[in-house]
Amino acid sequence: MSVLLVNAHSGVAEALFDRPEAEGQLRRVRQRDLTAAHFAEASGLITTMYLDQVGFLQHAASLQALLGRGGRWIFSGHMLRPPIPSLGIYVPLPDPRRVDFALTRLYEHPIFAGIDQKALEVNRGVAGFYGRGHNPMPHGATAINGLGPQHLPIDWDWARPDGGHIFSHAGNDFWGNGDDAILHQVLADRAVAWAAGEL
Amino acid sequence: MSILVIHPGTFYHIESLEAPRYAGTFDRLVRPEDLQDVRLEDFRVVLIPCRTPAERMIAHAGRLRAYLDQGGTVIATGENDWAHYLPAIHFTPQETNWWWWLTPGADLGVQITAPGHALFKRLTRDDLSWHMHGWFDVPDGAEVLAVNESGKPILYIDEVTTKGRMILTSLDPFYHHGSHFMPATTRFLDGFLGWMREDLDR
Repeated sequence: MSVLLVNAHSGVAEALFDRPEAEGQLRRVRQRDLTAAHFAEASGLITTMYLDQVGFLQHAASLQALLGRGGRWIFSGHMLRPPIPSLGIYVPLPDPRRVDFALTRLYEHPIFAGIDQKALEVNRGVAGFYGRGHNPMPHGATAINGLGPQHLPIDWDWARPDGGHIFSHAGNDFWGNGDDAILHQVLADRAVAWAAGEL
Repeated sequence: MSILVIHPGTFYHIESLEAPRYAGTFDRLVRPEDLQDVRLEDFRVVLIPCRTPAERMIAHAGRLRAYLDQGGTVIATGENDWAHYLPAIHFTPQETNWWWWLTPGADLGVQITAPGHALFKRLTRDDLSWHMHGWFDVPDGAEVLAVNESGKPILYIDEVTTKGRMILTSLDPFYHHGSHFMPATTRFLDGFLGWMREDLDR
Protein backbone atom coordinates (compact mmCIF):
# COMPACT_ATOMS: atom_id res chain seq x y z
CA MET A 1 0.00 0.00 0.00
CA SER A 2 1.14 3.51 -0.67
CA VAL A 3 0.27 7.02 0.34
CA LEU A 4 -2.36 8.77 -1.71
CA LEU A 5 -1.59 12.36 -2.76
CA VAL A 6 -4.58 14.29 -4.02
CA ASN A 7 -3.48 16.64 -6.77
CA ALA A 8 -6.03 19.38 -7.28
CA HIS A 9 -4.47 22.42 -8.89
CA SER A 10 -3.96 22.84 -12.60
CA GLY A 11 -0.36 23.12 -13.59
CA VAL A 12 1.19 22.24 -10.24
CA ALA A 13 2.52 18.74 -9.91
CA GLU A 14 4.23 19.07 -6.51
CA ALA A 15 7.65 18.05 -7.87
CA LEU A 16 8.91 17.36 -4.35
CA PHE A 17 6.84 14.19 -4.44
CA ASP A 18 8.27 12.90 -7.71
CA ARG A 19 10.85 10.69 -6.03
CA PRO A 20 8.53 8.95 -3.56
CA GLU A 21 6.09 8.44 -6.40
CA ALA A 22 8.79 6.94 -8.63
CA GLU A 23 9.80 4.63 -5.79
CA GLY A 24 6.26 3.42 -5.30
CA GLN A 25 5.75 4.99 -1.88
CA LEU A 26 3.21 7.47 -3.14
CA ARG A 27 0.39 7.51 -5.65
CA ARG A 28 -0.68 10.84 -7.07
CA VAL A 29 -4.28 11.12 -8.26
CA ARG A 30 -6.07 14.11 -9.72
CA GLN A 31 -8.94 15.03 -7.44
CA ARG A 32 -11.50 14.75 -10.22
CA ASP A 33 -10.42 11.13 -10.78
CA LEU A 34 -10.52 10.19 -7.09
CA THR A 35 -12.63 7.15 -6.16
CA ALA A 36 -13.34 5.15 -3.03
CA ALA A 37 -10.97 2.50 -4.34
CA HIS A 38 -8.04 4.91 -4.12
CA PHE A 39 -8.71 5.40 -0.41
CA ALA A 40 -9.21 1.68 0.15
CA GLU A 41 -5.83 0.96 -1.43
CA ALA A 42 -3.96 3.65 0.54
CA SER A 43 -2.14 3.51 3.85
CA GLY A 44 -2.26 7.27 4.24
CA LEU A 45 -3.36 10.46 2.57
CA ILE A 46 -1.83 13.85 1.78
CA THR A 47 -3.98 16.74 0.64
CA THR A 48 -2.48 20.07 -0.34
CA MET A 49 -3.58 23.67 0.03
CA TYR A 50 -5.17 23.39 -3.41
CA LEU A 51 -7.69 20.77 -2.32
CA ASP A 52 -11.22 21.37 -3.57
CA GLN A 53 -12.68 21.15 -0.08
CA VAL A 54 -16.25 21.35 -1.30
CA GLY A 55 -15.75 18.42 -3.65
CA PHE A 56 -13.72 16.47 -1.11
CA LEU A 57 -16.77 16.18 1.14
CA GLN A 58 -18.09 13.47 -1.16
CA HIS A 59 -15.18 11.32 -0.01
CA ALA A 60 -15.84 11.79 3.70
CA ALA A 61 -16.92 8.18 4.22
CA SER A 62 -13.85 6.86 2.44
CA LEU A 63 -11.65 9.15 4.50
CA GLN A 64 -13.33 8.01 7.73
CA ALA A 65 -12.76 4.40 6.71
CA LEU A 66 -9.08 5.04 5.97
CA LEU A 67 -8.61 6.68 9.36
CA GLY A 68 -10.69 4.02 11.09
CA ARG A 69 -8.25 1.32 10.05
CA GLY A 70 -5.35 3.34 11.42
CA GLY A 71 -4.52 5.44 8.37
CA ARG A 72 -3.01 8.89 8.56
CA TRP A 73 -4.07 12.10 6.83
CA ILE A 74 -1.92 15.19 6.33
CA PHE A 75 -4.12 18.20 5.73
CA SER A 76 -2.41 21.37 4.55
CA GLY A 77 -4.43 24.55 4.15
CA HIS A 78 -7.22 26.53 5.74
CA MET A 79 -9.91 24.14 6.96
CA LEU A 80 -13.21 25.59 5.78
CA ARG A 81 -15.19 22.44 4.94
CA PRO A 82 -14.34 19.83 7.58
CA PRO A 83 -15.04 16.34 6.27
CA ILE A 84 -14.64 14.87 9.75
CA PRO A 85 -16.68 15.79 12.83
CA SER A 86 -14.59 17.47 15.55
CA LEU A 87 -12.56 19.48 13.04
CA GLY A 88 -13.12 23.21 13.37
CA ILE A 89 -13.11 26.12 10.94
CA TYR A 90 -9.88 27.99 10.21
CA VAL A 91 -9.30 31.09 12.32
CA PRO A 92 -7.22 33.81 10.62
CA LEU A 93 -5.08 36.20 12.65
CA PRO A 94 -7.21 39.35 12.90
CA ASP A 95 -4.62 42.06 12.17
CA PRO A 96 -1.25 40.37 12.10
CA ARG A 97 2.08 42.06 12.70
CA ARG A 98 5.53 40.56 12.40
CA VAL A 99 5.58 39.28 15.98
CA ASP A 100 2.39 37.32 15.29
CA PHE A 101 4.18 35.25 12.64
CA ALA A 102 6.88 33.97 15.00
CA LEU A 103 6.99 30.18 15.12
CA THR A 104 7.75 28.15 18.22
CA ARG A 105 8.31 24.40 18.37
CA LEU A 106 6.04 23.00 21.03
CA TYR A 107 6.48 19.27 20.49
CA GLU A 108 9.17 17.27 18.71
CA HIS A 109 6.98 15.60 16.12
CA PRO A 110 8.80 13.16 13.80
CA ILE A 111 8.09 15.29 10.72
CA PHE A 112 9.97 18.23 12.23
CA ALA A 113 12.46 16.43 14.49
CA GLY A 114 15.85 18.11 14.39
CA ILE A 115 14.64 20.92 12.14
CA ASP A 116 14.90 24.45 13.45
CA GLN A 117 11.40 25.86 13.07
CA LYS A 118 12.92 29.29 12.55
CA ALA A 119 14.21 28.01 9.20
CA LEU A 120 10.57 27.81 8.09
CA GLU A 121 9.48 31.12 9.54
CA VAL A 122 10.60 33.37 6.70
CA ASN A 123 11.04 33.27 2.94
CA ARG A 124 13.68 35.78 1.84
CA GLY A 125 13.39 37.42 5.21
CA VAL A 126 9.61 37.83 4.91
CA ALA A 127 7.36 36.12 7.44
CA GLY A 128 3.75 35.09 6.96
CA PHE A 129 4.03 32.47 4.24
CA TYR A 130 4.07 29.55 6.66
CA GLY A 131 0.67 30.52 7.95
CA ARG A 132 -1.47 33.38 9.15
CA GLY A 133 -3.92 31.60 11.39
CA HIS A 134 -4.78 28.18 12.73
CA ASN A 135 -7.15 25.29 12.31
CA PRO A 136 -8.65 24.68 15.77
CA MET A 137 -7.32 21.59 17.50
CA PRO A 138 -9.76 18.83 18.34
CA HIS A 139 -9.83 17.77 21.96
CA GLY A 140 -6.86 15.56 22.67
CA ALA A 141 -4.70 16.78 19.80
CA THR A 142 -1.06 17.73 20.32
CA ALA A 143 0.21 21.14 19.24
CA ILE A 144 3.47 20.85 17.31
CA ASN A 145 4.26 24.40 16.28
CA GLY A 146 2.83 27.57 17.77
CA LEU A 147 2.12 30.82 15.95
CA GLY A 148 2.81 34.18 17.55
CA PRO A 149 3.05 35.01 21.24
CA GLN A 150 -0.06 33.00 22.02
CA HIS A 151 1.41 29.88 20.40
CA LEU A 152 -1.72 29.32 18.36
CA PRO A 153 -1.57 25.74 17.08
CA ILE A 154 -0.60 26.20 13.46
CA ASP A 155 0.52 22.55 13.29
CA TRP A 156 -0.98 19.75 15.29
CA ASP A 157 -1.35 15.99 15.35
CA TRP A 158 -4.51 14.29 16.51
CA ALA A 159 -4.57 10.61 17.39
CA ARG A 160 -8.27 10.03 16.94
CA PRO A 161 -10.15 7.93 19.49
CA ASP A 162 -11.83 6.30 16.49
CA GLY A 163 -8.51 5.41 14.91
CA GLY A 164 -5.91 6.99 12.72
CA HIS A 165 -4.12 10.30 12.90
CA ILE A 166 -4.82 13.69 11.40
CA PHE A 167 -1.93 16.10 10.97
CA SER A 168 -3.04 19.66 10.28
CA HIS A 169 -0.98 22.54 8.93
CA ALA A 170 -2.88 25.83 8.60
CA GLY A 171 -1.08 27.64 5.82
CA ASN A 172 0.76 27.27 2.57
CA ASP A 173 2.02 23.72 2.12
CA PHE A 174 4.61 23.37 4.86
CA TRP A 175 7.08 21.44 2.73
CA GLY A 176 7.53 24.52 0.52
CA ASN A 177 8.38 27.07 3.18
CA GLY A 178 11.73 28.61 4.03
CA ASP A 179 14.62 29.20 1.65
CA ASP A 180 16.35 25.81 1.89
CA ALA A 181 15.51 23.51 -1.03
CA ILE A 182 17.10 20.54 0.72
CA LEU A 183 14.85 21.13 3.69
CA HIS A 184 11.83 21.23 1.39
CA GLN A 185 12.67 17.74 0.15
CA VAL A 186 13.30 16.48 3.68
CA LEU A 187 9.89 17.71 4.76
CA ALA A 188 8.15 16.20 1.75
CA ASP A 189 9.90 12.86 2.27
CA ARG A 190 8.99 12.88 5.93
CA ALA A 191 5.40 13.78 5.15
CA VAL A 192 5.15 10.70 2.94
CA ALA A 193 6.86 8.48 5.51
CA TRP A 194 4.66 9.76 8.33
CA ALA A 195 1.45 9.35 6.31
CA ALA A 196 2.59 5.82 5.51
CA GLY A 197 2.91 5.07 9.22
CA GLU A 198 6.65 4.57 8.90
CA LEU A 199 7.76 7.57 10.94
CA MET B 1 -30.42 36.79 -10.98
CA SER B 2 -27.51 38.56 -12.52
CA ILE B 3 -24.05 37.53 -11.31
CA LEU B 4 -23.10 33.86 -11.60
CA VAL B 5 -19.77 32.77 -10.14
CA ILE B 6 -17.89 29.55 -10.72
CA HIS B 7 -16.93 28.03 -7.35
CA PRO B 8 -14.00 25.63 -7.62
CA GLY B 9 -13.99 24.93 -3.86
CA THR B 10 -10.43 25.62 -2.71
CA PHE B 11 -10.10 27.50 0.58
CA TYR B 12 -9.33 30.79 -1.09
CA HIS B 13 -12.44 30.43 -3.24
CA ILE B 14 -14.60 29.62 -0.23
CA GLU B 15 -13.28 32.61 1.68
CA SER B 16 -13.56 35.03 -1.25
CA LEU B 17 -16.96 33.90 -2.50
CA GLU B 18 -18.79 32.92 0.67
CA ALA B 19 -17.47 35.16 3.44
CA PRO B 20 -19.62 38.18 4.31
CA ARG B 21 -17.40 40.78 2.65
CA TYR B 22 -18.42 39.75 -0.89
CA ALA B 23 -21.08 37.06 -0.53
CA GLY B 24 -23.85 39.57 -1.19
CA THR B 25 -22.16 40.62 -4.41
CA PHE B 26 -22.95 37.34 -6.12
CA ASP B 27 -26.37 35.97 -6.99
CA ARG B 28 -25.42 32.37 -7.45
CA LEU B 29 -22.35 30.21 -6.97
CA VAL B 30 -22.05 27.12 -9.09
CA ARG B 31 -19.59 24.27 -9.08
CA PRO B 32 -17.90 23.76 -12.45
CA GLU B 33 -19.34 20.26 -12.50
CA ASP B 34 -22.87 21.64 -12.17
CA LEU B 35 -22.58 24.32 -14.82
CA GLN B 36 -24.47 22.28 -17.39
CA ASP B 37 -27.57 22.57 -15.21
CA VAL B 38 -27.54 26.38 -15.22
CA ARG B 39 -29.07 28.60 -17.90
CA LEU B 40 -26.21 31.01 -18.49
CA GLU B 41 -28.45 33.40 -20.40
CA ASP B 42 -30.30 34.11 -17.16
CA PHE B 43 -27.21 35.96 -15.90
CA ARG B 44 -25.67 39.27 -16.89
CA VAL B 45 -22.22 38.16 -15.83
CA VAL B 46 -20.41 34.85 -15.46
CA LEU B 47 -17.32 35.22 -13.27
CA ILE B 48 -14.48 32.70 -13.30
CA PRO B 49 -12.16 33.32 -10.33
CA CYS B 50 -8.40 32.83 -10.08
CA ARG B 51 -7.01 29.31 -10.18
CA THR B 52 -10.04 27.56 -11.57
CA PRO B 53 -8.60 24.33 -12.96
CA ALA B 54 -9.10 24.34 -16.72
CA GLU B 55 -9.82 20.62 -16.77
CA ARG B 56 -13.03 21.39 -14.91
CA MET B 57 -14.06 24.09 -17.41
CA ILE B 58 -13.12 22.62 -20.78
CA ALA B 59 -16.40 20.74 -21.12
CA HIS B 60 -18.25 24.05 -20.90
CA ALA B 61 -16.29 25.89 -23.59
CA GLY B 62 -19.09 25.58 -26.13
CA ARG B 63 -21.75 26.86 -23.76
CA LEU B 64 -19.57 29.78 -22.68
CA ARG B 65 -19.06 30.68 -26.33
CA ALA B 66 -22.80 30.48 -27.00
CA TYR B 67 -23.43 32.66 -23.95
CA LEU B 68 -20.95 35.23 -25.21
CA ASP B 69 -22.45 35.13 -28.69
CA GLN B 70 -25.85 36.02 -27.34
CA GLY B 71 -24.38 39.07 -25.59
CA GLY B 72 -23.27 37.75 -22.22
CA THR B 73 -20.35 38.99 -20.16
CA VAL B 74 -17.58 36.70 -18.90
CA ILE B 75 -15.05 37.92 -16.35
CA ALA B 76 -12.00 35.79 -15.68
CA THR B 77 -9.13 36.59 -13.33
CA GLY B 78 -5.57 35.37 -13.06
CA GLU B 79 -3.59 32.15 -12.87
CA ASN B 80 -6.06 30.44 -15.18
CA ASP B 81 -5.59 28.56 -18.43
CA TRP B 82 -8.35 30.60 -20.07
CA ALA B 83 -7.46 29.58 -23.62
CA HIS B 84 -8.87 26.12 -22.99
CA TYR B 85 -12.41 27.41 -22.63
CA LEU B 86 -12.58 31.03 -23.84
CA PRO B 87 -11.95 32.31 -27.38
CA ALA B 88 -9.14 34.53 -28.64
CA ILE B 89 -6.95 34.32 -25.53
CA HIS B 90 -3.23 34.63 -26.23
CA PHE B 91 -1.30 34.69 -22.98
CA THR B 92 2.41 34.79 -22.25
CA PRO B 93 3.45 33.97 -18.68
CA GLN B 94 6.20 36.06 -17.16
CA GLU B 95 8.49 35.25 -14.30
CA THR B 96 6.93 36.60 -11.16
CA ASN B 97 9.03 38.89 -9.00
CA TRP B 98 7.56 38.17 -5.60
CA TRP B 99 10.04 40.40 -3.85
CA TRP B 100 10.00 43.70 -5.75
CA TRP B 101 8.53 45.53 -2.78
CA LEU B 102 11.54 44.69 -0.59
CA THR B 103 13.55 47.27 -2.50
CA PRO B 104 12.93 50.74 -1.09
CA GLY B 105 11.19 52.93 -3.61
CA ALA B 106 10.63 50.08 -6.05
CA ASP B 107 7.70 50.17 -8.45
CA LEU B 108 6.11 47.03 -9.92
CA GLY B 109 5.44 49.00 -13.07
CA VAL B 110 1.68 48.59 -13.51
CA GLN B 111 0.24 51.41 -15.58
CA ILE B 112 -3.39 52.32 -16.06
CA THR B 113 -3.92 52.99 -19.77
CA ALA B 114 -7.56 54.06 -19.71
CA PRO B 115 -7.77 56.42 -16.74
CA GLY B 116 -11.16 57.67 -17.88
CA HIS B 117 -12.72 54.23 -17.61
CA ALA B 118 -15.42 53.92 -14.95
CA LEU B 119 -13.45 51.19 -13.19
CA PHE B 120 -10.81 53.70 -12.21
CA LYS B 121 -13.21 55.82 -10.28
CA ARG B 122 -12.87 52.94 -7.83
CA LEU B 123 -9.30 51.72 -8.28
CA THR B 124 -5.89 53.33 -8.22
CA ARG B 125 -2.63 52.03 -9.67
CA ASP B 126 -1.60 50.83 -6.22
CA ASP B 127 -4.73 48.70 -6.03
CA LEU B 128 -3.50 46.79 -9.13
CA SER B 129 0.06 46.36 -7.88
CA TRP B 130 1.00 43.12 -6.17
CA HIS B 131 2.44 40.57 -8.65
CA MET B 132 2.78 40.18 -12.38
CA HIS B 133 2.01 36.75 -13.77
CA GLY B 134 1.99 37.47 -17.47
CA TRP B 135 0.44 39.45 -20.29
CA PHE B 136 -1.99 39.11 -23.16
CA ASP B 137 -1.80 39.69 -26.89
CA VAL B 138 -5.22 41.25 -27.25
CA PRO B 139 -7.35 41.29 -30.42
CA ASP B 140 -7.48 44.48 -32.47
CA GLY B 141 -10.21 46.66 -31.07
CA ALA B 142 -10.03 45.35 -27.53
CA GLU B 143 -9.87 47.99 -24.80
CA VAL B 144 -6.72 47.73 -22.71
CA LEU B 145 -7.21 49.08 -19.19
CA ALA B 146 -3.83 48.30 -17.63
CA VAL B 147 -0.40 47.14 -18.72
CA ASN B 148 2.71 45.71 -17.12
CA GLU B 149 6.17 47.27 -16.83
CA SER B 150 6.80 46.56 -20.52
CA GLY B 151 3.55 48.07 -21.69
CA LYS B 152 1.93 44.65 -22.23
CA PRO B 153 -1.78 44.23 -21.43
CA ILE B 154 -2.69 42.68 -18.07
CA LEU B 155 -6.33 43.85 -17.90
CA TYR B 156 -8.55 44.31 -20.94
CA ILE B 157 -12.07 44.17 -22.29
CA ASP B 158 -12.77 42.27 -25.51
CA GLU B 159 -16.03 43.20 -27.21
CA VAL B 160 -14.83 42.33 -30.69
CA THR B 161 -14.33 38.57 -30.65
CA THR B 162 -17.94 37.76 -29.80
CA LYS B 163 -21.22 39.65 -29.59
CA GLY B 164 -20.71 39.71 -25.85
CA ARG B 165 -17.93 40.93 -23.61
CA MET B 166 -14.92 39.27 -22.03
CA ILE B 167 -13.07 41.02 -19.22
CA LEU B 168 -9.72 39.36 -18.65
CA THR B 169 -6.92 39.99 -16.22
CA SER B 170 -3.76 38.17 -15.26
CA LEU B 171 -4.04 39.64 -11.77
CA ASP B 172 -5.06 37.07 -9.17
CA PRO B 173 -7.03 38.90 -6.46
CA PHE B 174 -9.32 36.08 -5.34
CA TYR B 175 -6.38 33.83 -4.54
CA HIS B 176 -4.61 36.35 -2.33
CA HIS B 177 -7.66 37.90 -0.72
CA GLY B 178 -9.01 34.45 0.07
CA SER B 179 -5.67 33.56 1.62
CA HIS B 180 -5.82 36.60 3.92
CA PHE B 181 -2.67 37.77 2.22
CA MET B 182 -1.98 41.00 0.35
CA PRO B 183 -4.16 44.00 1.21
CA ALA B 184 -3.99 45.42 -2.34
CA THR B 185 -5.99 42.43 -3.57
CA THR B 186 -8.80 43.22 -1.16
CA ARG B 187 -8.81 46.82 -2.30
CA PHE B 188 -8.88 45.57 -5.90
CA LEU B 189 -11.89 43.36 -5.24
CA ASP B 190 -13.67 46.12 -3.33
CA GLY B 191 -13.41 48.35 -6.39
CA PHE B 192 -13.67 45.77 -9.15
CA LEU B 193 -16.66 43.90 -7.76
CA GLY B 194 -18.42 47.15 -6.95
CA TRP B 195 -17.91 48.24 -10.56
CA MET B 196 -19.06 44.85 -11.81
CA ARG B 197 -22.22 45.05 -9.77
CA GLU B 198 -23.15 48.59 -10.68
CA ASP B 199 -21.90 48.94 -14.24
CA LEU B 200 -22.15 45.44 -15.72
CA ASP B 201 -25.28 44.22 -14.02
CA ARG B 202 -27.59 46.49 -16.00
